[in-house]
Amino acid sequence: MENKKAGMTLIVKTITRLTVGLILLYGIYIVLHGHLTPGGGFSGGVIIALSFIHLMLAFGKEVALKKLSEVWASILESLGAIMFLSIAALGFLGGYFFLNFFLSKGRPFTLFSAGIIPLCNIAISLKVGAGLFAIFVALVLFKGLTKEK
Amino acid sequence: MSVYFLCLILFCIGLYCVLRKRNIIKIIIGLGIMEYAVNLFFILIGYRYPARAPILAKDQVIANIVDPLPQALVLTAIVIGLAVTALLVAIAIRIYEKYGTFDITKIRKLHG
Repeated sequence: MENKKAGMTLIVKTITRLTVGLILLYGIYIVLHGHLTPGGGFSGGVIIALSFIHLMLAFGKEVALKKLSEVWASILESLGAIMFLSIAALGFLGGYFFLNFFLSKGRPFTLFSAGIIPLCNIAISLKVGAGLFAIFVALVLFKGLTKEK
Repeated sequence: MSVYFLCLILFCIGLYCVLRKRNIIKIIIGLGIMEYAVNLFFILIGYRYPARAPILAKDQVIANIVDPLPQALVLTAIVIGLAVTALLVAIAIRIYEKYGTFDITKIRKLHG
């Protein structure tokens, strides 16, 4: 946006500015409806990561890294893993692994139902989205680091 | 039956790409084509014609659904394939930095 040279042409930048929010919202929709429709944590996480990768391809790496830096991607990835593990280990308080005793199951086929499965989906989507973005950032920044030697 | 042979043809296209091409990027793409041919084969084994997706919806009885086991297996295989592709691309970048080419016939100096 400020650097005119970085990234692709004006056409690609304009279309990206229009669509990148929709892609991110669609990923969040897939994650939140993971227990009702096809999709879930992994698919939604991939779509969320693709929205940031889309931003990086169109505008260059500085703009995308300002939205989500590599340090924050690493933190969010670890947070997803710890969240999933703590949800699973919380079941030990009631008896065994992955036991759902603290959330009501709700009515079936509504958004707030299925106990801890939506929480697990959100944890998986954090892990997958941040991890995939971190892989892409590592592959992009890799070349610049070794060229300085 | 013919769709299984189409999967075999797709697999053979990927195999040709891996064995015959010289560019490392094209070899990685060939590996991806082989992987997706195998995934498509697993999905087609579980599929039956008058059937629907194995998801419980409102007021539907559990009858006439496709086999969900290959689908769960393929989902895991896609994740592993993603990691393998990332590793291959990282190795390809290192090779390009060291030798300045993607052509595997020009990579001859294997010291250190």
